[in-house]
Amino acid sequence: MSSFIDYTVNGLVIGNIYALLAVGLALIFGVSNLINFAHGSVYTIGAYIGWAAITFLHTPLPVTMAIVFVACAFVGMAIERIGLRPLQGSARIAPLLATIGISFVLDQIVQLVFSPDPRALPNDLPDWRIAIGGGSIGALDLLIAGVGIGAAALLFAFLRFTKLGYAVRATAQDREAALQMGVNVNAVNSTVFAIASALGGISGLLVGMYYNHIDPAMSFQATLKGIVAQVIGGVGNVPGAIVGSLLLGLIESYGIAFLGTTYRNLFAFVLLILFLLWLPNGLFGGRRVLQSEPLTGAFIAPSKPLRLPRWALWVLTGAAFALPLVISAPYLLQTLTNAWLAAMLALSLTLMAGTAGQISFGHAGLLAIGAYASALLTVDLDAPTYLTIPAAGLITSALGTLLIFPAFRLRGHTIAIATLAIGEVVSLVILNWESLTRGAMGVTGIPPLSIFGHEITAAREVYWLCLAIVVALALVQTRLLSSHFGRTLRAIRDDDVAARSYGIRLDRYKALAFAFGGFGAGVSGAITAHLYSYINHQTFDSQVSLLALTMVILGGMGNVVGAILGAIVLAGLPELFRLTAEYRILIYGIVLLLLIRFRPQGLMGTL
Amino acid sequence: MPAQFNRRFTDWRNRLAIVFALAALTPAAALAQASGEPVTIGVSGPLTGQNAQYGAQWKKGFDLALEEVNAKGVKGRPLQYVFEDSQADPRQSVAIAQKFVSDPKIIVEVGDFSSTASMAASSIYQRAGLVQFGFTNSHPNFTKGGDFMWSNSVSQADEQPRLAKYAADLGFKHVAVLYLNTDWGRSSQAIFTQSAKSLGVDVVASEGYQPDEKDFRSTLVRVRDAQPDAIVLISYYADGALITRQTRSVGLTQPIVASGSVYSPKFIELAGEAGNGVFTESNFFPGDARPEVQAFVTKFKAKYNEEPDDFNAVAYDTIILLAAVIDKYGLDRTAIRDGLAEIKDVPSVIYGEASFDPQTRRVAGARAVYLVVKNGQFVLWDGKKPSAS
Repeated sequence: MSSFIDYTVNGLVIGNIYALLAVGLALIFGVSNLINFAHGSVYTIGAYIGWAAITFLHTPLPVTMAIVFVACAFVGMAIERIGLRPLQGSARIAPLLATIGISFVLDQIVQLVFSPDPRALPNDLPDWRIAIGGGSIGALDLLIAGVGIGAAALLFAFLRFTKLGYAVRATAQDREAALQMGVNVNAVNSTVFAIASALGGISGLLVGMYYNHIDPAMSFQATLKGIVAQVIGGVGNVPGAIVGSLLLGLIESYGIAFLGTTYRNLFAFVLLILFLLWLPNGLFGGRRVLQSEPLTGAFIAPSKPLRLPRWALWVLTGAAFALPLVISAPYLLQTLTNAWLAAMLALSLTLMAGTAGQISFGHAGLLAIGAYASALLTVDLDAPTYLTIPAAGLITSALGTLLIFPAFRLRGHTIAIATLAIGEVVSLVILNWESLTRGAMGVTGIPPLSIFGHEITAAREVYWLCLAIVVALALVQTRLLSSHFGRTLRAIRDDDVAARSYGIRLDRYKALAFAFGGFGAGVSGAITAHLYSYINHQTFDSQVSLLALTMVILGGMGNVVGAILGAIVLAGLPELFRLTAEYRILIYGIVLLLLIRFRPQGLMGTL
Repeated sequence: MPAQFNRRFTDWRNRLAIVFALAALTPAAALAQASGEPVTIGVSGPLTGQNAQYGAQWKKGFDLALEEVNAKGVKGRPLQYVFEDSQADPRQSVAIAQKFVSDPKIIVEVGDFSSTASMAASSIYQRAGLVQFGFTNSHPNFTKGGDFMWSNSVSQADEQPRLAKYAADLGFKHVAVLYLNTDWGRSSQAIFTQSAKSLGVDVVASEGYQPDEKDFRSTLVRVRDAQPDAIVLISYYADGALITRQTRSVGLTQPIVASGSVYSPKFIELAGEAGNGVFTESNFFPGDARPEVQAFVTKFKAKYNEEPDDFNAVAYDTIILLAAVIDKYGLDRTAIRDGLAEIKDVPSVIYGEASFDPQTRRVAGARAVYLVVKNGQFVLWDGKKPSAS
């Protein structure tokens, strides 16, 4: 019983920390309908600014907090100016992608300036503790709770009772109407970002002090947990964010109590998915509608695709096949093989995100399923690879569609969050299902590719195999797009209400698109597993998902040739510019931002 | 998961300097006394990205060793290395592997850093018949990739029984183990548990945690309820420090015994006050009185004006070892593999003298010292058992 009290207290303590993050996210969502993926980056920046102030200026805590508050408010205003304001009127998902780009850039800058090594962030608070149950809480716990609840209360009062608060709420309800009533909408947004980011920075500082530990990688986890807490409480609802955070903390703590520490994040993400499915408006969202536009959240900028003449495509394909005959450098062929494997993934994603309008942030999960399926079939059952690779494709197709199926009725931002969560869940299940997947040890000794006793190991043969699969997938996909099926998918994407009123069963078409896309991604993962001979749950991490998304946007959403081009560019460039490898993520972030702002249709145009 | 043991502070100016050094790509060979066509080792490792600091540590060890080796060279020719940056990413390490195996100048390969990156490339090296020498690869299956995979990384089969022995020597009977849930942590935990049992130490709780975990309060409640008389950490320094701090702040007073991977000044910085009294051990300790350690520390300090760490030491050991093999058995790729199996008693900072077991292709018998943290410093353990709490 006393342990139960301890788990409860611990859950509230950690929930307290999530609340600081969730409140800022909720405020921004409430006003601009935007899930700010850069919030975690501001949190990290706040922690590092605090570290610099304490280390170089020896500031006491209140002064440090003031410095962080002001500095992060400016960062927030900059994010609004770059990520949100120029994108008014473009697709809903555009600002969300922009905040992802901004978070890449900010995190990478922090890492370049401060090195990836963690640092200690000491605090000068008195060292007394209050015993509760078998544990205790300290001064910092109380300060964090005070800041979280205080900020929420102040914000609540501000939104309810002040004139600027009215303006903020009016903007949130209807931007155009607010504009007509004389509200300076841009100023309101700017203010909201400043307040929320200042709060985000303060939370970074306090959490950093709490753990006496800050590092540049803390951003992603923080954003993730903040978003989960927010969805539970009701997106855009400030008091709800606090309750959601505490609830998340409690569930995680009880999860640890029942099953053990490795299950913590699994609990968090499964909870998120459950809420998205059954209570997408959260506990306190009430009837607040997420969005009312007929747009399903696709990032599609209408454009005329750049069409290469058919003969040119065949010449290029022929040249690609002939390349190994001319150049035999295995290094170059390996790099291009990597590009072909990435192209299979990009083809799959461009179909789902571009053509069907279901953006996916967890696509690496499909690679992992395919890789594990083929690896385990060959290692445990001695099945030949020419059977396991298509089998892996089918398994991925079935499993992937099954996982995503319940999420089909979600729209806009929620589908992005749901896919992100599904990707994380796949990785966590692989880690925890030790009897099947060997858990953290990964699968070793995966045999090489072979056809009827002939091992395909030479760089040139692997290259041909992968290229042939890409060409085959691309041909089928092109054929599909110009068929009834492709037109229906685009209709769903462009206006699902209209599509439904024509008698189209949305779920079935989306499922078909995922089934086909899942096959390609599964095959890509499976081949990768046989090439590497060793995989673990981290071989396909969330970075791969975001990279795939960048490829697809670069090529042009829905565009088959564009996806392949995007894959070649993004898989090949880092090899060409090895010296700039350190800045690679920075470059991805900037490319993503520039594309969204200036060429949302990508290089080849959307289809 | 990277087999990162101790991360150390490397400031960004240092790292910029590495970028410039990379641009030159012609390391220390220039000052060699030996003459003729240089003999080349290919290195695949992280110079940028999340693990960049380890690549930087390697280079310092390599360069120091090369200065020494090239006083007379190998087979009369200067030895050099080519460092390709993989960011410890399997996609890049396989491309680098293809580059190395097709370059006849490369006669042996060193690295990569993480198990994921190294083992993904193993099959390429094995098929091409080029030795892949992984000196930070603790994954038990690394050398099982084929007869061209060799490692002088301290095996967990060596280290964990010693940690268990330390816990037993300290007089603990019931321990709770917290381990990092990665290939490294998982295999270490299994070996530790087994050897603890044979020493009469009971493992009463075993909790794995994710590398990005920060909050351990609820985990520690589970630990407390198991009523251990000590807590064993199979952790790196950053997470080890987080756990140590939180253990004290939730009011647990049990002594902490941590695996050698927490041995880093960063552990003390991050753990603060709570770090005092933590017991650990290390294969490399600059204060170790062994002559080979003192000789290395003196040379290293003279060149870099800083204390070496174990990454510097293993990198140094690796080049000295490979130079000895090449000098004795020749410049042929296969001859190097055969030579590794035969060579005996190469001087080593970590092992004293290193010889391979041709079956496991690993080195056994790493030296180690028992350490304890006192007043914010790692010092040799004075043999005093902690008073029962």
